[in-house]
Amino acid sequence: MATIIDITEEKALEVKDFEFTYAGADAPSIKKLTMPIAKNSITALIGPSGCGKTTLLRSFNRMHDLYPGNEYAGEILFKNKNILTSKEDLINLRIQIGMIFQKPTAFPMSIFDNVAYGMRLQGIKNKIELQDRVEKALQDAAIWKEVKDRLKHDANGLSGGQQQRLCIARAVAVEPEVLLFDEPTSALDPISTAGIEELIVELRERVSIIIVTHNMQQAARVSDYTGFMYLGELIELGKTEELFVTPKEKLTEEYITGKFG
Amino acid sequence: MTHTQKRIVINRVVMTLSTLSAVIGIGFLLWILSVLVINGVDALSWSIFSEEGAPPGYEESGLKHALIGQLMIVGVATIVGVPLGILAGTYLSEYGQKSKLAETIRDISDIMMSAPSIVIGAFVYAIVVAPMGHFSGWAGSIALTIIMLPIILRTTDDMLQLVPSTLREAAFALGAPKYKVITQVVYRGAKAGILTGILLGVARVAGETAPLLFTSFNDNFLNTDMNEPMASLTVTMYNYATSPYEDWQKLGWAAAFILSMFILSLNILGRLFIMKKKS
Repeated sequence: MATIIDITEEKALEVKDFEFTYAGADAPSIKKLTMPIAKNSITALIGPSGCGKTTLLRSFNRMHDLYPGNEYAGEILFKNKNILTSKEDLINLRIQIGMIFQKPTAFPMSIFDNVAYGMRLQGIKNKIELQDRVEKALQDAAIWKEVKDRLKHDANGLSGGQQQRLCIARAVAVEPEVLLFDEPTSALDPISTAGIEELIVELRERVSIIIVTHNMQQAARVSDYTGFMYLGELIELGKTEELFVTPKEKLTEEYITGKFG
Repeated sequence: MTHTQKRIVINRVVMTLSTLSAVIGIGFLLWILSVLVINGVDALSWSIFSEEGAPPGYEESGLKHALIGQLMIVGVATIVGVPLGILAGTYLSEYGQKSKLAETIRDISDIMMSAPSIVIGAFVYAIVVAPMGHFSGWAGSIALTIIMLPIILRTTDDMLQLVPSTLREAAFALGAPKYKVITQVVYRGAKAGILTGILLGVARVAGETAPLLFTSFNDNFLNTDMNEPMASLTVTMYNYATSPYEDWQKLGWAAAFILSMFILSLNILGRLFIMKKKS
């Protein structure tokens, strides 16, 4: 059975008996998963390919709803409310739970318009307010100095690492409560990766972060809690240093020592 | 002969044959273009643009009626066909996706793309011209719209599908409603491709004669009433070129030249957009 530690601090999200089945699939990809996510901390999800970590991540902002036929069961509590109900306002949910993708997703528009996009969606039209918040978001994402003289330029002219930080700025600009990172550095070089990791650690003060990563060192470097998933189940959730040094489950130990995966 | 030598010989033979075929193909194209340019430029004059059609033997005759008629017929077809095609393509790519309805529309539209244009002309004759009792510019525009629609619809569909789904997801993840994702992010990403589709669609119908023969018919004089039969460059060219009068034949060459240059520039413009997109 799974070993899941009690989280004493406030929780950002609580997953309860969660199941997820992809359209047309016979069996659920995530089975009866229960997991607390601590507030203002970084939770890493690790596990071999196909273990369901990205599937779980994409459930937190109901990304699966973009494709027909996918099914949720169980509960994911956010602010004491189950977000899996059909009544849930997805637009409102996604404003509060932002997401950063594997590959940078700069929109085909200027750097400024990219960062302002989410704010404009919320109806903010005041130019000065937009400018202030765009600048602040870009500073938060540690990219302001590089782009401040070319805010009107096409965002696709930036390097991959810069684009990813731009996407983080865009997500941070709407001041979400939770940020989901789906392998945010897998398409980046080591220097850009280090920059993004630093940024994630800094963001923890303001948002709760869940990060899916293939890279165990990355999980060890940035996260406070780590969850190890295998075949759609959460095998172990613990404080990161404990999970990596003294794993309670045999499967976890085998995975982090490289015996499989 | 060793195996390697044999391979080299076969390589040379195939290369020579394919190069030769390419040269023959391009040769014909250049031949057509040069005959067109030589005869067309020779027939060009100011009166082509300033004068209407006239009986043979008249000094002052031109193509003004056909040029204006052509612009009006193609213009109306474009105004109707482009938004219709883009909206339908948007439905296919963004809403219908792989549904039965969407796939059926794609199949039908592919069939329509290869349907002989004269059949479309006959169809519009039956449903518009016959009930109205007379030829009209509107009927010509309707025929051209029908021909243009599948081209724009399919390019829009294809180009929108080329926009990575992660871009859509990123916009949704910021809390964007679907229509804003489409209009603000997906359309922007596919802008160059959609524009190319429009240009190619317009270029395709601008050169059509058969569907206009029995829809907008022809008029030897200037007419701007879309309810009446209307001259077009293509039909005028057909009539003048097949006439026994030398001055009319000359006007036919001029019409052919103007039409070709118009379509050629649309095509080149379309290609420029694609190239710009790739770079």
